[in-house]
Amino acid sequence: MGCNDVNKVDLNVPFSSKREAEIAYGTLSVDKEPKRGGVKRVVSVDDRFLKVHFEAEEVRSLRVSINSFMDYLLLVIQTIEKFGPQS
Amino acid sequence: MVIAIGFEGSANKLGIGIIKDGVVLSNPRHTYITPPGEGFLPRDTAKHHREVALDILQTALKEAGVTPDQIDVVCYTKGPGMGAPLISTAVVARTVAQLWKKPIVGVNHCIGHIEMGRLITGAVDPVVLYVSGGNTQVISYSQKCYRIFGETIDIAVGNCLDRFARVLKLSNDPSPGYNIEQMAKGGTKFLELPYAVKGMDVSFSGLLSYIEERAPQLIKKGEYTPADLCMSLQETIFAMLVETTERAMAHCGSKEVLIVGGVGCNKRLQEMMKLMAGERDAVLYATDERFCIDNGAMIAQAGIEMFKCGMTTPLEEASCTQRYRTDEVEVKWRD
Repeated sequence: MGCNDVNKVDLNVPFSSKREAEIAYGTLSVDKEPKRGGVKRVVSVDDRFLKVHFEAEEVRSLRVSINSFMDYLLLVIQTIEKFGPQS
Repeated sequence: MVIAIGFEGSANKLGIGIIKDGVVLSNPRHTYITPPGEGFLPRDTAKHHREVALDILQTALKEAGVTPDQIDVVCYTKGPGMGAPLISTAVVARTVAQLWKKPIVGVNHCIGHIEMGRLITGAVDPVVLYVSGGNTQVISYSQKCYRIFGETIDIAVGNCLDRFARVLKLSNDPSPGYNIEQMAKGGTKFLELPYAVKGMDVSFSGLLSYIEERAPQLIKKGEYTPADLCMSLQETIFAMLVETTERAMAHCGSKEVLIVGGVGCNKRLQEMMKLMAGERDAVLYATDERFCIDNGAMIAQAGIEMFKCGMTTPLEEASCTQRYRTDEVEVKWRD
């Protein structure tokens, strides 16, 4: 404790098309990180990739934030698979 | 002609309903049921919603005989409710709205209950008693706003019943409140409990502590049966609700009373309210468990009203909020 090093994690999630990546971005960029958690999250799209950048001083809150994000990301992917244009 | 799909997941029910111009085409739901003695926690409830949402959505579309391209608007519960379950449900709603290229409407859960109650019963301008696991409010419409006349100052009535059911280790299937209601039918000996009406507001937490502390001993000594205690609890808290509702009706000069929310399907509450209404030459409107208990169609119904007056929600604002009061919404669709 007491160290101010910022811990960072970057996710680069490939989708099968740019449109799908944009849908994931549209859904997942709405909810903000809780203020108390001290985690900064930046979501963006680069072609068919969803890019997510996490930053936090505390490793534990970083893990919690990523875990929670992954739960929602998985749900978006499953929803696209089941109800998207190809299905 | 407007077809709306509604996503509800603010508590332990995940429901998705489709409505076409006031007709419910489908309204499947799945309830997260915990073991006796345990309540539902946000994290586990959210997980439940994520696991069942897509199957429920499939069922809703199939039962309604509707394809996504026929849907005009996607509605979801914005709040109030538990954060993680709300977001899990909203994530599916936002994703399908983009996949199907449909507008989104974020709906206040309480308004959903009120509009569904009005649709099903035909009540025009009732005083509304909204009673559920998370909310207890006496509401009356006036000038583009559902105004809160009275409410709980601590826990909701349904929460009080649910937590007493945990003390008795009653089953949470189909719901703790239902099992209290059934048990209360066998009660004969009334235990006097603290009666806490404060002006137009009600309080249940002191009453709950009182009965929670005494119940185990009273039952052990054989002075009261669990059935007696369920009956006593119901009679006391329902009397409090009927009293405040009557005062709101007297103030508004209303001849209609509508009960909505999960506790609203309690037959004893309906019976007591009907007695009061009868004495005032008023009419009681209530619905059964299909529409009283949280469901997707109610969100679709309120969403249709909002959609028709242009109240859509841009995707980037389609967030969730745990606190969202009934009187925060401008009711543009009523005169």
